[in-house]
Amino acid sequence: MPEPLLYLKAMGTAAIVSAIIVLAMVLARRHASTTWLNLSCILGIGLGLVVGHSVVSLRLAWPPVNGLDRFLTITVPLALSIELIAGFQNVPRWVAWLLRMSLAATIPRILLHGSVYLSDSPEGWTPWQAGMSLAVCGALLAGVWSLLSWLSQRSPGASILLALSLPILCAGLTVMMAGYIKGGVAAFPLLATLVGTTVAARLMSKRSAALSNFRTPAIVGIGVVGLFGLLFVGRFFGRLSTDYALAMLLSPLLCWVTEMPQLRHRKPWFVGSLRLVLVAIPLLVVLAAAKRDFDRKMAPLLGNTQAFPQSNSLMDSRSSTNAIGRPL
Amino acid sequence: MRRAFSVWVMTLVIGTVVCAGSQSGFAADEYAYDLVHSSVSFKARHLDISWIHGRFNEVEGKFSLDRENPAKSTFQLTIKADSIDTANKARDEHLRQPDYFDTKQFPTIEFKSTSTKAIEGGYEVTGNFTMHGTTKKIVLVLKGGKEHTFKEVKRVAFSTELALKRSDFGFDKNAIGPIGDEALIIIDCEGMRK
Repeated sequence: MPEPLLYLKAMGTAAIVSAIIVLAMVLARRHASTTWLNLSCILGIGLGLVVGHSVVSLRLAWPPVNGLDRFLTITVPLALSIELIAGFQNVPRWVAWLLRMSLAATIPRILLHGSVYLSDSPEGWTPWQAGMSLAVCGALLAGVWSLLSWLSQRSPGASILLALSLPILCAGLTVMMAGYIKGGVAAFPLLATLVGTTVAARLMSKRSAALSNFRTPAIVGIGVVGLFGLLFVGRFFGRLSTDYALAMLLSPLLCWVTEMPQLRHRKPWFVGSLRLVLVAIPLLVVLAAAKRDFDRKMAPLLGNTQAFPQSNSLMDSRSSTNAIGRPL
Repeated sequence: MRRAFSVWVMTLVIGTVVCAGSQSGFAADEYAYDLVHSSVSFKARHLDISWIHGRFNEVEGKFSLDRENPAKSTFQLTIKADSIDTANKARDEHLRQPDYFDTKQFPTIEFKSTSTKAIEGGYEVTGNFTMHGTTKKIVLVLKGGKEHTFKEVKRVAFSTELALKRSDFGFDKNAIGPIGDEALIIIDCEGMRK
């Protein structure tokens, strides 16, 4: 059963832990560099996730046995490691991007490992279908990742990261409303750590001139990988629809609208607010549609008989709108 | 001389055939699970006040039955987890999701016997039960075993019940919620001789 108060507690704890780690690491060092700030952000996100997941009692298995386990125990640590390596000044940019694109290409395969899709069973994909599906998903991830990183370099600001947090929140809620509670819960600590880290990093970069040119590719990278992983697991293991998943994955790219010549040189607060509004619009549509689906299909299982029209036909007892509203 | 040799050869051939026939009489009979006349159903507590009933519609299996030497008997059952049916489509969809059976990751529920012994009124079958990616050793008490030949096909039937805790098979304790941890599984199996 969903426990909103517990999720809020996990989010608060994860955000505070992430922010404290960033602040403590930067303040502890007299001449903190952008590399150091990047390192503190990665550690902050990693520890924030561990604490947040433990608060919501998200039990993960090792070796991982399902898609969510693989997402949280393999994919996210890999993304953190790659961003850690990429953050060092002496690592060439092409090496960093080679690592990122390699990860983007392999994440779909990692998440589907051992699943019915890649099996020889009748429900499994043919080699051609599997190859195409994995390639398209990998390309989508690589595309979103590179476009958002490019935008964060070209026109930096906390708004990109906050705009990335919105679809993560939306992904958590829609995956839950589609019936996969644990998959949705995993989104909340991720969202909180991204926000906590972003706020702390922003504070530190304003405080010190040496950090003023700090870009946030690590937070963007982990955020994009996190969003993709949640949606992918929700789509292929849960019952999240492809349309909703695509809309949520692509929504942060609407931040690019503010790069239009008429908008680009407006005041930062205006550009930032516009980005958030632009990203929020499709997400609100997705949330409304997901809530409608939830009321129609899932709410009766929770004993909410008011959420769907009653029918007197006994034939409806096998349909998705159960005539007698029998709870699960 | 030639005739005597022919008689000797004929005797040898007939003797071999008769012996082979009598051997097959002692060997284990192979049976296939008859989906039409069998069922795998379950029930679990709801809010600890009532029972939710359901069944799996797609099941495959086979067993070999050696009445002379029961230890040589083997039993195998494969249930397609996606075929869960609780008479409510939305609930079935929910149960297929990763919070419950995670059918995209664990498409089948399987039982494979490792030892069998005869008991009064049936057999006690020990074997490995795999559900939700977790394998545990369980003991099934198969009752029945009566034979009936219908339209020249020999049939044997067994029935058994077992109680399993979902938490023992890697189901998330947080997702157990209003449905009780323990589920009662009822298997009625009719086998057709191959």
